[in-house]
Amino acid sequence: MKNTGVSVRNIILIPMLIVALGLCVSPKNAQAEVKELIIGIGIDADTLLPYDQTTTLMQNMADLIYDSFLYQDPEGKLHPRLATGYEVSPDGLTYTINLRKGVKFSDGTDFNADAAKAGWDNVLNPKTRVPLRFAVGMVKECVKIDDYTIQLKLKFAFAPLAPTIAMSLISPISPAALKKYGEDIRQHPTGAGPYVLDKWVKGDRIEMVRNENYWGEKPTVAKIIWKIVPEAATREAMLRAGQIHICYKPLPSNVAALKADANVTVEMPLDTRTIFMGLNYQKGVTTNKKVRQAFNYAVDKKAIVKKILFGTAEPMDGPVSPKVFGYHKMAHQYDYNPEKAKQLLKEANFDFSKTVSMRTPQGRYLFDRQVSEAIQAYLQAIGVKAELRTYDWPTYVAGLLKPLEESELEVFLLGWGPLILDADMGLYGQFTCEVNPPKGLGAAFYCNPEYDKIMKASREEQDPQKRSALLKQASEMVWDDAPWMWLHVEKFVIAYSSKIKGMVVTPTEKFYPHYITMQ
Amino acid sequence: MHNYLIKRLLSTVPVLIGISLLLFFMLRMLPGDPAQVLAGQMATPQEIENIRHQLGLDRPIYEQYAVYMSHLVRLDLGRSARTQNPVIDEIWARLPNTLLLTVVAITLACLFGIPAGIISAVRPYSWIDYLVTISALFGMSMPVFWLGLMLVVVFAVILQWLPAGGTGSWQHVILPSVTLASFVVAFIARMTRSTMLETLSQDFTTTARSKGLTEKVVIVKHALKNALIPIITVVGLQFGFLLGGAVLTETVFAWPGLGRLLYDSISARDYPMIQGTILIFGLLYIFVNLVVDLIYAFVDPRIRYD
Repeated sequence: MKNTGVSVRNIILIPMLIVALGLCVSPKNAQAEVKELIIGIGIDADTLLPYDQTTTLMQNMADLIYDSFLYQDPEGKLHPRLATGYEVSPDGLTYTINLRKGVKFSDGTDFNADAAKAGWDNVLNPKTRVPLRFAVGMVKECVKIDDYTIQLKLKFAFAPLAPTIAMSLISPISPAALKKYGEDIRQHPTGAGPYVLDKWVKGDRIEMVRNENYWGEKPTVAKIIWKIVPEAATREAMLRAGQIHICYKPLPSNVAALKADANVTVEMPLDTRTIFMGLNYQKGVTTNKKVRQAFNYAVDKKAIVKKILFGTAEPMDGPVSPKVFGYHKMAHQYDYNPEKAKQLLKEANFDFSKTVSMRTPQGRYLFDRQVSEAIQAYLQAIGVKAELRTYDWPTYVAGLLKPLEESELEVFLLGWGPLILDADMGLYGQFTCEVNPPKGLGAAFYCNPEYDKIMKASREEQDPQKRSALLKQASEMVWDDAPWMWLHVEKFVIAYSSKIKGMVVTPTEKFYPHYITMQ
Repeated sequence: MHNYLIKRLLSTVPVLIGISLLLFFMLRMLPGDPAQVLAGQMATPQEIENIRHQLGLDRPIYEQYAVYMSHLVRLDLGRSARTQNPVIDEIWARLPNTLLLTVVAITLACLFGIPAGIISAVRPYSWIDYLVTISALFGMSMPVFWLGLMLVVVFAVILQWLPAGGTGSWQHVILPSVTLASFVVAFIARMTRSTMLETLSQDFTTTARSKGLTEKVVIVKHALKNALIPIITVVGLQFGFLLGGAVLTETVFAWPGLGRLLYDSISARDYPMIQGTILIFGLLYIFVNLVVDLIYAFVDPRIRYD
């Protein structure tokens, strides 16, 4: 971007010119074609290969290069992309997917059933590195029916399969490129999306240019530059100075100031990620339900959201984010009530001489350490001695997967962000006996056969209304059992130049800027 | 001199082997599993085991070291666990940025620090000496992070004279190098002042003055030349420190250097990348030390390496 010096004369003339231009230029004069869009992000991509990626931002970038089978919009509605439609067998075990005709990958390879099947086979192959394979673990195999039809055979009925196939994880990759580059495909992304990778300057920027052969509507932005700016305060400064157009995740403490700036638009939709304090259900002082409920009453979640998180979250009022299908606001809430907390502890014969062990990661989630410190203080306020230990993420996560007999977890902070807008990944992925460590990451060791039965039924139920009712039943059960201190649902904060119109921001922490206009 | 050079260059081999050995085993003593970090929070244990196998982390540690060394002797630093790119490519992409920032910062620090130290020593306890001392105190105690952000706010946001971050033009180098130099300049100024004060009070300086030499000649040709050895040592040490220690400056100014790469690699427990980066730092440090030793001989003819 060009930098210009400012003289005293300019200080007087420029505002006059801006006012004059403002009078002449109506909002209708939006640029239909945006030559270059610069997005400030915090980290460089390790890989742009969809199935090898676990970071949402990188999946977001990969989405522009690799088109998906379906697209789930911010309201959760599914739209056809490379798949034009699908049919589900009555037993829910077979999905027949119709593929779009006339689509080519950016290297000229045809997209068809062979390419789609090759992609699925690759992701299902245990030798391929696919960190999020569990998300498609219900798929047994992919079968080609004809040149533009494939069938997915499932191991068990799984009602939310349609949003699952909208995930970046299984976005088709050019089979010719896979063959040509092998392992190096990570650095040579080749998909059927609206953009192609133009330049990747390590640690500095990633440049994408429009795929002129894209099958869909031509993007309005000709070139997208993902500029790596690790420090959020610098990203904000660059946005204010006009050196970038979009600032990814500005500092929560500065959101109010950014909102007050007329040149900046701030969007902060509610996310799918819930932040909680896990309470070990099977070991230690938290095995007692009354103790777990007391801990929930002891913490003022509203105050945490307001004072520590600067309003960039909402207190949880159900076990999953309100943005997902199957969410239900619980009738009974754990509102801040230290007296009730003390009463419950008394009823539970809680041993106040014992020290509760708390642990937290630092720098993984928004103000994670500070939130944990606040909770420690709340617990101490009701007479519970709590010792808090802080870890860096690699050390922390190593302690989460230990089996019950080795686990040292008692009270621990963690976040869980479902990749699709469906409650299954939260309710099944955290609370069924099947996901207790070391098999899964349900580190609170919640295990309730009755609950498991309901969740299994919800996966088999194809009727959305009946399924929603089952998810409500499961939610109520786990909410009452309280294996978590239900803390808050994060908001995804993104700030951008107010000249930009038509930005799409989703609750899965993604944004799509390729059809924007600039005023 | 040639023999000395050859000896010094050969001595780098055991030093590098020592670094690799220490680093290799110390890294593996750190808590945290690289496969777990790579797999992400939602991966199943089977997937983590799969990745561990792919990275060769399921082999005995001595076997891992043997494989690593066998690659290293062929100058192969391996592939990053995170990006799967050759480590050397990742380092090579950032090394010029690191060298550029370090050289500019050290040059700025010398250009301002040495004259400030001299003036301060020549006029001890005068207002200019106090000014230099207070400025040095500020420079040393001001957090780099804060100073960097303040410079961004003033020069990029308010005045809009310079870019807030990134690379690409000479303007991009100004703010990060000034930030980085602010700390070093204080160090150099303090060191120059104290060594100059010492040499100015020595007999040979008095002799030079009594010979009727001008004050300028006495200061520059006699006192400064004799005071240079500790200053060069400090500059050399700071140069080595800046190569890897500029993480905060690189972070604030989105400067894609090796310090940031190392920090990110440690956070991800990317063993091959950490090993490769620190080995390169080791090499650079050895090289800088060698250059400093050679400059000693150039500055002080009494020092001979033959």
